[in-house]
Amino acid sequence: MRGVLVSLFLSWVAQGVEDSPRQVSEILAANCLTCHGEKIKMSGLDLRTRESMLKGGHKGPAIVPGDPNRSPLFRHASGLDQPVMPPGKKLQSWQLTVLSRWIATGAPLDKPIAASSDLSQSMAALEERPITEEERQFWSFLPVKRVTPPVPANRAWVKNPIDSFLLKAMEEKNLRPSAETNKRSLVRRAYLDLWGLPPTPAQVQEFLGDSRPDAFERLIDKLLDSPHYGERWARHWLDLARYADSGGFEYDRDRPHAWRYRDWVIRAFTNDLPYDEFARLQIAGDEIAPGDPDALIATGFLRHGPEANIKTELTRMDELDDILSTTTSVFLGMTVGCARCHNHKFDPIPQKDYYRMQAVFFSTKHEDVPLVPREEVERHKAENKRIDALVQPFKQQREELEKPYREKLIAAERAKLPDYIQEALRTPPEKRTEGQKLNVRQVEKTRNFTDEDVIASMSLEDRARHDELSKKIQELEKLRPAPLPSAMAIGEDGPEPLPSYFLHRGSPDSKGSLMRPGVLSVICRQELVFPSAPATAKSSLRRKTFAEWLTSPENPLFARVMVNRIWQHHFGEGLVRTPSNFGKTGERPTHPELLDWLASEFVARKFSMKQMHRLIMTSNAYRMSSDDVAASRAVDPDNRLLWRMPRQRLEGEIIRDSILAVSGALDRKVGGPGVHPYIDPALWQGSSGRTWPGKQDHDPTTWRRSIYVFSKRSIPLPLLEVFDKPDTISSCARRNRSTIAPQALILMNNQFIHLQAEQFAKRLKREAGLDPAKQVELAFELAYARPPSSKEKQWALEFLAAGPEALVDFCQALFNSNEFVYIP
Amino acid sequence: MKRRFWSRRELLWRAGGGIAGLAFADLLAREARGAASVSPLAPKPPHFPAKAKAVISIFCYGGVSQMDTFDPKPELYRRRGEALTGKGEVVVSQGNPGGLMPSLWEFKRYGECGMEVSDLFPKVGALADEIALVRSMYALSNDHGPALFHMNTGSVLPGHPSMGSWVTYGLGTENQNLPAFVVFTDPRGGPIGGAPNWGNGYMPAAYQGTQFRSTGDPIVDLKPAKAMDAERQRRWLDLLAKLNAEHAARNPEDTELAARIASYELAYRMQTHALEAVAVDKESETTRKLYMVDDPVAGYFGRQCLMARRLVERGVRFVQIYSGGGNFQSSWDAHWDIQHNHGLHAAETDGPIAGLIRDLKGRGLLDSTLLIWHGEFGRMPISQRMNGRDHNPHCFSIWLCGGGVKGGVIVGATDEFGYKVAENGKSIHDLHATMLHLLGFDHEKLTYFHNGRHMRLTDVAGNVIREVLAS
Repeated sequence: MRGVLVSLFLSWVAQGVEDSPRQVSEILAANCLTCHGEKIKMSGLDLRTRESMLKGGHKGPAIVPGDPNRSPLFRHASGLDQPVMPPGKKLQSWQLTVLSRWIATGAPLDKPIAASSDLSQSMAALEERPITEEERQFWSFLPVKRVTPPVPANRAWVKNPIDSFLLKAMEEKNLRPSAETNKRSLVRRAYLDLWGLPPTPAQVQEFLGDSRPDAFERLIDKLLDSPHYGERWARHWLDLARYADSGGFEYDRDRPHAWRYRDWVIRAFTNDLPYDEFARLQIAGDEIAPGDPDALIATGFLRHGPEANIKTELTRMDELDDILSTTTSVFLGMTVGCARCHNHKFDPIPQKDYYRMQAVFFSTKHEDVPLVPREEVERHKAENKRIDALVQPFKQQREELEKPYREKLIAAERAKLPDYIQEALRTPPEKRTEGQKLNVRQVEKTRNFTDEDVIASMSLEDRARHDELSKKIQELEKLRPAPLPSAMAIGEDGPEPLPSYFLHRGSPDSKGSLMRPGVLSVICRQELVFPSAPATAKSSLRRKTFAEWLTSPENPLFARVMVNRIWQHHFGEGLVRTPSNFGKTGERPTHPELLDWLASEFVARKFSMKQMHRLIMTSNAYRMSSDDVAASRAVDPDNRLLWRMPRQRLEGEIIRDSILAVSGALDRKVGGPGVHPYIDPALWQGSSGRTWPGKQDHDPTTWRRSIYVFSKRSIPLPLLEVFDKPDTISSCARRNRSTIAPQALILMNNQFIHLQAEQFAKRLKREAGLDPAKQVELAFELAYARPPSSKEKQWALEFLAAGPEALVDFCQALFNSNEFVYIP
Repeated sequence: MKRRFWSRRELLWRAGGGIAGLAFADLLAREARGAASVSPLAPKPPHFPAKAKAVISIFCYGGVSQMDTFDPKPELYRRRGEALTGKGEVVVSQGNPGGLMPSLWEFKRYGECGMEVSDLFPKVGALADEIALVRSMYALSNDHGPALFHMNTGSVLPGHPSMGSWVTYGLGTENQNLPAFVVFTDPRGGPIGGAPNWGNGYMPAAYQGTQFRSTGDPIVDLKPAKAMDAERQRRWLDLLAKLNAEHAARNPEDTELAARIASYELAYRMQTHALEAVAVDKESETTRKLYMVDDPVAGYFGRQCLMARRLVERGVRFVQIYSGGGNFQSSWDAHWDIQHNHGLHAAETDGPIAGLIRDLKGRGLLDSTLLIWHGEFGRMPISQRMNGRDHNPHCFSIWLCGGGVKGGVIVGATDEFGYKVAENGKSIHDLHATMLHLLGFDHEKLTYFHNGRHMRLTDVAGNVIREVLAS
């Protein structure tokens, strides 16, 4: 039976074998070589020659001569294996027969397959990915639609339209909003929410004593009118901007000017800079307001990503990817970065959109711009030159002093070299082989000795002279002027943009067409025109055009994404719970009409963030208690319909700030270079010159708000790290909220926390006197904004009775308690 | 199909962060609510049954020279001093290439398998029948930072979770009183790139590696900063518990509050358990000798290996030990004087590693513990600075042992100089896929949803190295 089949098969194969290499070449050229040929080798596979097919790609050889059924080329083409190739079309059955026959007869191929003539055309076709009308109908791409707020049954509860939307949705599920929280919780909530600092007893009393009907509105206004508000909300933005004070990667070099961007963000929030202007300046500040130092500092947004140690075309592509992914996820809530190597798998974001937007940023370069007049820059340069000249003779003397010692060390080292290298050294230069030349050059160029080695080999007299010279040099170096204050900014080399290309599979080796700049095509039906820059311009002005489109009313994502972020930080979760992903894999809004209503308000209020805070916080929803209601929980355990205020765990930064505020130690200075609190050297020492000039815990200059803690990418402050501080490598829209034992260990045992508990105890003695009952009362007022219950007071007094050290322990217990680390 | 043992609810809840690091089963039983969630570190079954339950990664950082350790190249001796030609462009990371440089060490055949290992690793060599050697590994970067990230996280770019994070994310941990993922760095410093090498990337902090010190208290902040005896601390915790209970009474169903309360009890227990886990003094004289813990050269690394065994024995899921730290000569990065460099680092590690294997085997733990010996890339066959070798990402040797690995196997081969892979090249994704396979995971299905994508340790690649599997 088997023999019959084989002979049948062979006779079938025999027909047309002569012809099969030519036919196969035609089939492969027409269907496969675009992606597996000269220019592009997807999966590392090149199908142009028999050898390259046998070598195969990342998944192994493409053919097994003699066995079509074991040849991936045939298996994928015939659909035996997924994915079916070529994608999007099936080979016809006669073509499959030819392929199979050809492999069965040993896959003969005498010359490389030439690409079909329309290769460039088919390559260009690969770049196209049209967007369907249906795709444009996805909720987040549709224009913002303002609907009249619905009228819920319980109209009495409605304080502003936000309540109408929320209550209507609750009523549909027979849910009732939770009761209003007490005034003490409300004031603590508002302070932690807007300032990230708990209210003092006096601030609590001020609110409790204000019986005017708009007392809460007045409180909100007071809180918004403070740089502490800027400090609190800038932190949320810095998470999005993957802000750090160092470059990450191997050397993680400090970025001494990065903090000016952090301060600019704080000022922008404090001064209520309209959000559209805020966005435009970060993308194109240099083009929009040339010469304005703040606008230059704002463009630091494009530079905060990590910086590779080695610069290649690929690392530049990574850098541009960081810029593009961050910009689009922050301002558009879209995961455009997914389209770097292929069309987005879930959202209608063609790969071409990615490269057209890359063209917007392609010409950018890093620029550190001194923030002082030109004369001062010149003076600075001249002064440095003067010192160079002073130092030079001493350096030279030192070198001369070292020279003979160094040479002696090297001679000793050379004597140890193996015979074949000695021989190379002995061989006259003209007779040396290639290898000998390499070795001799290497020996001549090698200087393996450190300064310490050389100094150690010196005579006592020369060593003293060496010390003297080094000291002299050090003294002169001290005369150098401090580095000039600079903006860590973005610039371009002139009006003519650099050419950039579509990259197949994201590889710089697979360049496609030249790219015109563009935007997200699913929300921009007509191609956006990027006017050329005038000849006098310092840059292409592409970013300016892009920023104007981004912030225009035609872009529905811009306002939606940001109001959702504001909402998220007030209520713990956004109306869309994936705040930087408004695409198909993101969540749908729980209250789509409310989201759009807020977005339209945001636009109508000229993108004032403070007005949005006011609007949201003056709703009745914001005043709800965070306590559980069993009946409501049974209906909506995730609180998606917002029947109660969610309880929010404070971020590590705010826990630290609260501790400092309550202990009375907080230095409220606003802005300036970052500070370095103590970090156990065991956690960072030794690596690649990375250092952390940490001050001691008892040094009050480190008792600043945590936003001013120097953000070193490879050395995070442990207290912040254990509480899910983002890694600052990419934009973070929503922090993880872990509860883990190391958090408890730090708050229980860390020296800094203990020290602040001591400060807190001292404050209690200072302000409440020596009566333990008074101390306990004040402690609760400071930590929780409320007096203790009689039960709590009794526990505390029993605890304090143990001895003098108990007061510090008691204070530290408050820092550790749940009530302290949650927004009520 | 993602993690099949998580319901959608749990996944959503996970995305919201939440409870971590806790012995939660009983607490949740008391909660007795369908909606309640489990700790991200609770033990979880893998995709399919597997032998390996724990991993010890021995990271010889800096780049071990393959032709001086596990990949003999007699051709280098025959053609010593000649230029390296015929293998494509010769790329060196620090310039000034020399001629071909033979190994300074002799190779011997070991075991029934006859594996050739150099005199740098005689004690490991003696265990050749236990290990599966891969000579055809290749990396993508010849720069330490990206190469370290690549080996540790599968990506040359920072920001991705490390192997240990993936493993603890997948399996949880057996001992809730100890961290699930422990890292020992070299006394001379940490590796380039620092903490992100054992970072959790985009995953919750529960999955990040905890750095253990080998002297003094193992964890920073393990003990109170002030002199606080156990009784005083207990009293303190009781006060805290009362305050928290009062606060939680209004929200008895809030698992997050309950988790935070429980985390204090865990931290309290961890104080004693962590100390106990690293108490190598409690080991017998024989065991201490086996690991060479009192040896002036190998003692430090030996102590770390012994601690690693004690941790694994106590249910810790992933331990990573770095040999080498800081820069150049204090790591395996032998740009010059390889004789001193590799001589020293091998002397520090050969005995302890062999001791670890023998000890694990003697205790019946080798089957359930996967050992991976590796660096981040290899070194060049030509000389640098007269007597050193530059980085070489094109090939390097690693080996695996225990945990379902077939011993005495050699996978792949390099060219006659050890410059490039000659056959059966294996990528770092392949190594990761193999590790996950040995732990019972289909590496394509162990995913974490982030920024709109189901992320994997193996990205979109990786094939299990079947040759090293025992069955």
